[in-house]
Amino acid sequence: MLTRRSFLQTTTLAAAAPASQPKRIAIVATVYRYLSHAQHMGDRFLVGYPYGGAWHKPDMKVVSLYVDQKPEGDLSGDRAREFGFQVYPTISEALRCGGKELAVDAVLTIAEHGNYPRNEKGQTLYPRYEFFEQCVKVFEQDGRAVPVYNDKHLSYSFEKAKSMVDASRRLRFPMLAGSSLPVTWRLPAIDLPLGCKIEEALMVGVGGSDAMDFHALEGLQCMVERRRGGETGVRAVQLLEGDAVWKAGDEGRYSKALLTSALSRSDTPLGLTVEDGRTQDLVASGQLRTLAKKPAAYFIEYRDGLKATMLMLDGAIKDFNFAARLSGVPRTQSTQFLLTPEPNVTYSACLMHKVEQMIESGAAPYPVDRTLLVSGMLESCLTSKVQDHARLETPHLNVRYKAPQQSQFAQE
Amino acid sequence: MSNLVRPKLAAIVTAYFKYSHAQHIVDRLLDGYGWNGTHHYPPMDVVSLYVDQVGANGLSRERASRHPGMKIYPTIAEALTAGGSKLAVDGVVIVGEHGNYPRNERGQTKYPRYEFFEQVVKVFRDSGRAVPAFSDKHLSWNWEWARKMYDTSREMRFAFMAGSSLPVTWRTPSVEMPLGARIGEALCLCYGGVDSYDFHGLETVQCMVERRRGGETGVEWIQAYRGDKFWEALREGVWPKPLMDAALCRSHTLVPARAGFNHVFPTVEDMRRLVKDPVAYRYRHTDGLKCTVLMMNGLVRDFNFAAYVNGRSQPWSTQMYLPMPDGRTTLADFFSPQVNHCETMYLTGKAPFPLERTLLTTGLTAAGVESLFRGQTRYQTPHLAIRYQPAKESTFWRT
Repeated sequence: MLTRRSFLQTTTLAAAAPASQPKRIAIVATVYRYLSHAQHMGDRFLVGYPYGGAWHKPDMKVVSLYVDQKPEGDLSGDRAREFGFQVYPTISEALRCGGKELAVDAVLTIAEHGNYPRNEKGQTLYPRYEFFEQCVKVFEQDGRAVPVYNDKHLSYSFEKAKSMVDASRRLRFPMLAGSSLPVTWRLPAIDLPLGCKIEEALMVGVGGSDAMDFHALEGLQCMVERRRGGETGVRAVQLLEGDAVWKAGDEGRYSKALLTSALSRSDTPLGLTVEDGRTQDLVASGQLRTLAKKPAAYFIEYRDGLKATMLMLDGAIKDFNFAARLSGVPRTQSTQFLLTPEPNVTYSACLMHKVEQMIESGAAPYPVDRTLLVSGMLESCLTSKVQDHARLETPHLNVRYKAPQQSQFAQE
Repeated sequence: MSNLVRPKLAAIVTAYFKYSHAQHIVDRLLDGYGWNGTHHYPPMDVVSLYVDQVGANGLSRERASRHPGMKIYPTIAEALTAGGSKLAVDGVVIVGEHGNYPRNERGQTKYPRYEFFEQVVKVFRDSGRAVPAFSDKHLSWNWEWARKMYDTSREMRFAFMAGSSLPVTWRTPSVEMPLGARIGEALCLCYGGVDSYDFHGLETVQCMVERRRGGETGVEWIQAYRGDKFWEALREGVWPKPLMDAALCRSHTLVPARAGFNHVFPTVEDMRRLVKDPVAYRYRHTDGLKCTVLMMNGLVRDFNFAAYVNGRSQPWSTQMYLPMPDGRTTLADFFSPQVNHCETMYLTGKAPFPLERTLLTTGLTAAGVESLFRGQTRYQTPHLAIRYQPAKESTFWRT
């Protein structure tokens, strides 16, 4: 039986292993086909990626891959042949490289894309928790744990997400998760000053639920977590849809000035811009209501009193923009999270650089608690959606953490 | 000029249709644009518009109907005088890009920028008053005419701003060449065609290298390489391959050289397969600095800059980021900083960056075309002995 003490001893020993060998990586994915997250993230460790104006090749080797589904266009076999690794039929075999014990130095679980059922809240039931649990089982059985990156939200369920983070704390392995929005380029290249006092924050995004709303919420969270006192968790959430979204704006539940500010950062207004190229002041002209036919507002009430709103505005724009009003600062702070085009999606290189940093250093560059909180915010918002858009108290979202001192978005 | 007075502007354009430069620029003055975190309405009024070619897809009438303060005039002189006898505006916007204009034997489109400018200046002269003017892109396809435009603006002492949006747009990363830097070599890797985007590539390089120690000294010669000669020059190391590699690593639009991969670094063989008609302009400044602009259609769709700076062996690099409405965006917002600089000029009577930059890049564009026309031979450019100092303040988009 593995005790906590013997586990920690083995982890310490493992950490002391010679550093000269390239780190060995296992990829655990739902699917590996062109432009799936697993492909454009996993490939960065096979063929390198641009960083800081050079083509960077991580000093790491992908040694094993598990794919849950092999749809048409599956690339797992081709990649394995070309880059000299094995595709294993189970996660535990992938982590042990077919042997008897954990044989990798890091695991990337990339469970986005693939054919998985949706629940009544519209959440796709990607098996992130299930993949992670199998990894943890190997760690526990083999008495050694290694850094794990989990792509996007931890799980569709906060309870599952929480147990994932708890496992990483219990077994003391570094864990990084989340979206590329927090780490991509920003236009302009600004962050909120650490310790600032935020009066109100607003994010606009597009792409529906529950895929792109997660990105938008993480974009919002990586900004507001820098406020004075750090993150203290979320007290309540509410999701409104349709006309109720505009009505809430008219009633001042979110600031139209902030909405104008966020939209002023957009390069993708639709409607009349598509028609004849003109610029648009979407809020003042009223076009926003015409264009966004199925708007959704995600209201987040933080435990320290901050109120933030995320608006999904499909039909009006096609990019992700943030605005906030800070105490004592006359001009609103606003920026666009630049999602660079397909197929390069260079934002995923920004994210994989953070993963590489974690694997190299043994410490996550920013807390996984951010993704934990956002996973929970999203789940509760979607619960509100199916419960008549009720405001829901969220005592379970008592997630406290401190933002990293250093800005983490792409600046080099 | 008092801040309470809204300057009146005349817009003189070749054509005004969706995604034409005139539409991007004049629309921003009429309908405002996102700036500094709000929808900014310029504190000035376009009161007259001249459109040289009105096509079926023209938008000028729609714009005039929504902005009744703007009248359409049949001639440039009438636009400037608002139908009266004397200059009746406080600033002029000349946009001579797009529209059907003939090409010459060198492949240059003969946009009537010089002709427009001359007509504007005639009104200035006749009225005994000159006002600030902006002319989009290079001054003229014809070097002598460009030089004359520059000289006239100096002689008549009016603020004159021109050029591309490349120097003023976002950069990823958001960095500026340190003022007074020692630059070993500089390069822009971009896309587009001759007498078109080459000008943008040249302006990309020039807005950076003009900040080097001693400032700008002018250019002695230029040589173009196209097709096989391009590949031969690449093989022979005519320009530094590491700068090319660094520039490629700044691109967000690198065409994958292999099926099934979304982002791989191309080999030279890959590039040869992807780029059917590559063009390079290589030129030497009077102080010895050598610069290269590579137009590699089929490989990238953005403008990337790399240079050796202050003796470092690692290239210094960035991308001049253009939110491009070719499917990527719907607004060409790189026109926003350009229009904002125009506004500053109309309000202050001072151009925010030296016209000499655009004079030099205009001359370089024509000289590059000339080198191509003369069988890709080295073309001496004694006429481009243009010296100037850059603006001390950065003028690219950061806020």
